[in-house]
Amino acid sequence: MTTTLEHATTMAQPKGGGLARHQNFATAIVAGVVLAWVGWFLGRHLFWNGSDNWSDQVTILTLLGWMLGFWIGIGAFNAPFQWLLGRDNTRADNLYYAGDKQGRMRYWKFTTDHKVVGVQYIIVTMGLLAVGGILAMAIRTELITPGTHFVNQQVYNSFIAIHGMVMILALIVAVAGPWGNFVMPIMIGARDMAFPRLNALSLWTLVSAATVLVGTLAVGGLPVGWVVLGTIANQAGPGMDFFAVAIVIFTVSTTVASVNLITTVITMRTRGMTLDRLPIFVWGTIITAALALYAFPFFFVAEANQIFDRTASTSFYVAAGGGTSWLQANLFWLMGHPEVYVILIPAVAALFEISSTMARKPVFSYRTAVGAMVVLAGLSAVVWAHHMFTAGWAPSLSGPFMVTTELISIPTGIFFLVLVGTLWRGNVWMKLPTVWMFGFIFNFIVGGVTGIYLSDVPLDEQLHGTMFVTAHFHYIFVGSVLFGAIAALAYWFPKVSGRYLNEFLGRLSFWLVFSGVQLTFGAMFLSGLKGMPRRDASYSFAFEHTNFISTIGAYMIMSGMLVLLGAVITSWRSGEPSGPNPWRANTLEWQVPTPPPLENFDVLPVITEDPYHFDETTVNA
Amino acid sequence: METSAKKSLRSFYWTWVILTAVGVGLSLWLPRRYMPAAMSNDAHLTMTTMILFSICAAPVASGVYAGALHVLRHHRYRGDGVPPPAPQIRESTKLLTSWITASAILTVFVLVWGLGALAAENGSSSSNPLVVNVTGQQWVWTFSYPGTHVVSDELYLPENREVEFRVTSLDVTHGFWLVNMGVQVDANPDVITTIHTTPDKLGVFEVRCEQFCGLNHAFMDAVGYVVTPQKFSSWLSAQPARA
Amino acid sequence: MDRSKSLGVALVSVLLGGGALALGGFVLASNTPHQKALQCIESSTHSHTCSVTLSTFPDSLEGVHGANGGPHPDWVTYSNDNVVVPANTTVNMTIDQYDTGGNVNNPFFDSVVGTNGGTAAVNGKVVTHVALGDTGHTFTLRGIPGNGKTLFVSVPLPYNFGTKFPVRLGTGTYPKPVVVKFSFTTGGPAVYEFNCEFPCGGSREGNGFGEAMQAFGYMSGTITVK
Repeated sequence: MTTTLEHATTMAQPKGGGLARHQNFATAIVAGVVLAWVGWFLGRHLFWNGSDNWSDQVTILTLLGWMLGFWIGIGAFNAPFQWLLGRDNTRADNLYYAGDKQGRMRYWKFTTDHKVVGVQYIIVTMGLLAVGGILAMAIRTELITPGTHFVNQQVYNSFIAIHGMVMILALIVAVAGPWGNFVMPIMIGARDMAFPRLNALSLWTLVSAATVLVGTLAVGGLPVGWVVLGTIANQAGPGMDFFAVAIVIFTVSTTVASVNLITTVITMRTRGMTLDRLPIFVWGTIITAALALYAFPFFFVAEANQIFDRTASTSFYVAAGGGTSWLQANLFWLMGHPEVYVILIPAVAALFEISSTMARKPVFSYRTAVGAMVVLAGLSAVVWAHHMFTAGWAPSLSGPFMVTTELISIPTGIFFLVLVGTLWRGNVWMKLPTVWMFGFIFNFIVGGVTGIYLSDVPLDEQLHGTMFVTAHFHYIFVGSVLFGAIAALAYWFPKVSGRYLNEFLGRLSFWLVFSGVQLTFGAMFLSGLKGMPRRDASYSFAFEHTNFISTIGAYMIMSGMLVLLGAVITSWRSGEPSGPNPWRANTLEWQVPTPPPLENFDVLPVITEDPYHFDETTVNA
Repeated sequence: METSAKKSLRSFYWTWVILTAVGVGLSLWLPRRYMPAAMSNDAHLTMTTMILFSICAAPVASGVYAGALHVLRHHRYRGDGVPPPAPQIRESTKLLTSWITASAILTVFVLVWGLGALAAENGSSSSNPLVVNVTGQQWVWTFSYPGTHVVSDELYLPENREVEFRVTSLDVTHGFWLVNMGVQVDANPDVITTIHTTPDKLGVFEVRCEQFCGLNHAFMDAVGYVVTPQKFSSWLSAQPARA
Repeated sequence: MDRSKSLGVALVSVLLGGGALALGGFVLASNTPHQKALQCIESSTHSHTCSVTLSTFPDSLEGVHGANGGPHPDWVTYSNDNVVVPANTTVNMTIDQYDTGGNVNNPFFDSVVGTNGGTAAVNGKVVTHVALGDTGHTFTLRGIPGNGKTLFVSVPLPYNFGTKFPVRLGTGTYPKPVVVKFSFTTGGPAVYEFNCEFPCGGSREGNGFGEAMQAFGYMSGTITVK
C-alpha cells in the first residue's frame, strides 16, 4: 500500500512535453479568441448577409467559437479524448489534474480538487460582485438627482440589466459555489466530489459564460431590463445575443454542478453519516441543487428560443408571427422564482450551521428546519406567476398564485424560529460570522414582510414595477443573502487560509454595509411607495430626497465592501493564524488539518452521532 | 437563577410589546404620508390593505427583533476564549406548534383578506362603464374614447363612474399604471388587456409606464384629470376630431 | 494586525477602490456622448420669446455624429439632442425636414398637438394635421417634471417629396427642406424629452423602433428649461 502511494507521488510530476499539462487560463483565452475569430470568419462567409438575422448569426457563431475554444484551451476535453483514444488516466494523471504539487498555479487550471474549485468559486464570486457593484455605483450616481447628468439613458439602460444579471449570477454561486465545493465534501467525509472533472467543468463553463455576459458591455450593453421581455428584446442589438448565449451556457454550468452535488451527497457519505446526522448545510446544498435542476432548464429553453428567434426567424416571442412574450415571461419566471430560493437557501443553511457553533447549542428543530427548506423549495416551483399579476396573462389565476405565494411565509417563518431558537439561551460567541448573522436576521425580516405586500394582488397592482419591489428584493439579496454569504466567508475563511478574517475590519465593514443597506433600500421603499417606477434613468422632482439618501447609502455599502475586500486580501496574506478548528465546531471539515490535504482524510472517519452536541470536550478540543 | 431568567423573559415581552407599538404607529403613518393621494375605490382599498398588512406584520417582525435583542443582551458570551457549552436543547414541540399555528393563522387571515379584496377589485359594479381605449407605444400614451372621435394625450375621466380601460400596445410591452388609482396592467402588442376602476375624487393624477420599454422609458408618462361629468362631456365635445 | 494598521488597510481600500471608481466614473461621464447645448436665442424685440432651429436628416452625413456620419452614417438623426430654453418663455421653433416618410404607427401623430394655437406652419401654410401617409418624422415632446407644469407638444414633420438634392451639408446631399414652424410656452425649470414617433429606426422585427430610435442622440433628445 505504502509503496503504491510513493510510486503515485513520484509519478505525479509532469513527464515533460504533454501539451495537456501546460494548459491554463491563459491558453484558454488564447484558444477562445482564436476559435471566436474562426466562428466570426465562418459566420460572415457561410451566412447570407442580406438576411435580417445575419449579424445575430455571426455574433452567435463567434460566441460559440469563444466558448468551445475556451473549454478546449483550459483542458476540459482532455480526459474524454484520452478515453476515446483508449488511454484512461492513470492515478498519477489524476493526482496531477487534482493540482498536486503545483502551488498557486493550480488555481488557474482545470483542477479537479474540490477545494481548488471552491477557492476558484470565491474568486469568481468576488469578481462578479465587483462588476455588479461598479455598475450599481454608476446607476446610483446617475440617480442622485433628477435628469440625466452623469450618463445618458442609453448607457443607463444598458447598465441596469447587466447589473441585475451579473449580481444574480454572483449570488447563485456566492454560498453554494465556494462552500458547497470546498467544505461540503469534507463535511460528509468524502475524499472529493463524485465527479471531480464535472466539478471543474461547471466552474470553467461558468467563467466562460460570465465573460460573455460582462462582454455585453462592450457591444452596447443590454438595454432591455434584466427580465429581457420578449418584445423589447427583439429590438435589441448584439448585446441580446451575448446575453442569450451566456445564459444557455450558464444553465449548463449550474445543471452540471447540481447533478454533481446531489450525487456526491447520495453516494459519497462516509460510514455512519446517515441522513439525520447530515450537517444542515449539506441539506441546504442538495435541496438547492435539486431546485436548480428543476428551475434552470426553463431558462435554457427561454434563451434558446430567443436565439432561434434571432438567428432562424422563428417567432416564439414575436407577436406578429403568432408568438407571445408571455411565453418568455412564463419561462423566465418559472426559473426566476425558484432561483430566488436557489440563492437564499444555501445562505440560510450556512447560517444554521454558524448559529449552532457560535451559540454552542444544537440546531433548534433540525428536522423541521430541513422540512421547511424542502417545503420552501417545493412551493417556489408553483409561485412563478406572481411576477405576472399585472401582465394581463391569466387574471383568473391571480387568486391561486396568491395562495401559493403567501403560504411561503410559513416555512420562511420557521427559518426565523430555527435561527433565533438556536441562539436562544445559548452562549453566543460574538465573532465576525455572528455579527453578520444578526444583520441577516434584521434585514431578512424587512425583506420577508414586504414580500407579503407584493404577493397580495390588489397591493401588487399599485406596487408592481416600482422601486418598492426593487427595495424588497435588495433587502433579500443584499441585506440577507449577501450578509449570509459574508458570514459564511468569515466562518470558513480560517479553513481555507489558515487565518482569521480580520475581526476589526470585518466589523467596520459590517457597520458600513449594514447602515448603507438601511439608508439605500429604506429610502428606496419610500420612493416606491410614492410611485417611482423601476429602471428609470430620470425621475420627477417628487422623488428627489429619497433618491439622494439612497445614493449616499449606496456609497456607504461600496465603502464597506471595499473594506471587506481589503480585509480578505490582507488576512489571507498575513492574518492571525487560526489553527485547524478555531470555532471548536464538530463538523468534519474542522477535524482535518488546515489546509486540508489533497484527499482530505488519511482514514475515512466513521460517524456515530450528529455534529451538534457541544460539551466540555468540544471547548478544549 | 430561575428568577433572573424570568426577569429577562419579562424584558423580552416588554421589548416585543414596545416594538409592536412602534410598528403599528409606523403602519398608520407611513402609507398615508408617502403613498400617492388615493383617487379611486381601488386606491382606497390599496391604502387600507397596506395599513392592515403592516399592522399584522408588526408583532411578527417585533417578535423576531425582540428575540434577537434578547439574545444580544442576555445570551451573549462575554468571557474570553471559547464559550462553554450551552443547554443542549434540540426541540420544543410546544414552541414549534404554537409558532407554526400562529404564522398559519396570520397567513390565512392575510389570504382571506387579499382574496376578498381581489374579488372586490375584479367585480364589475356597473353595467354601463365608460370605455377608454389605451394605446401604449414607445414612449407615449394615447387615449381614445369609443363612440366619439376623441384621441388625446391626456386622460380625462368623469367622477364616480366606473371606467373600463382596454389596453394595448403598438410595439413592445408597456405597463399602464394609473398611479393614484392603484391599478395597473401591461400593454401587450396584438392583445387587449382590461382593468376597471371608479375614480371618486376630483383632481390631477399621473399615468406612468412601469414596464421597461426601451430608450426613453423613464419619460413615458401622461397626465390625467378626474372632472365632474358635466366638465367631462364639455371636454369631449371641445376636442378636435383626430384620426 | 493591530488596530492602527487595520485602520490603515481600511483607509487604503476605500481610497484606492473609491478612487478607481471615481476615475472610471469620470472617464465614463466624459465619454458619454452629449452634444453641445443648442441655446434658444432670446428675441431682442419681444420679451419672453426665443427662437431655435432643429433639422431632421435621412442619414448622419450632415456631420452631427462626426465626420462622414460617425459610427452609423446611414442612421436618421435630429441635428441636436440637447436644447436649452429659458423658463416661462414662448419658444418659436423651426424644424427643417430633409427626409422622406410614410405612415405613422398611430394616426394621432399626424396631428399638431399642444402648440400655441394648436397649429403649425408648413412652408408658411398653417395646418392642424398632415394627410395620412405624408408624415416624415414627428417632434414629440413630453414629460411630468414634478413642478406642476406639464408639457405635451407633438408636431408632424411632413414627407419631403423633393427629388433634386441641391443642399450640401457635411458629406451629405439633401433636397430643399420642408420648413415647419410652431411655438409653445414653457413653465418652470424642468427637463423634457423629445423624440420622433415615426417608425424610422429600422429593427429586426420591423416595427421601426430599433437602432436609431433606441440610440441616444439620434431620433431623440432633451429640452432643458432653465
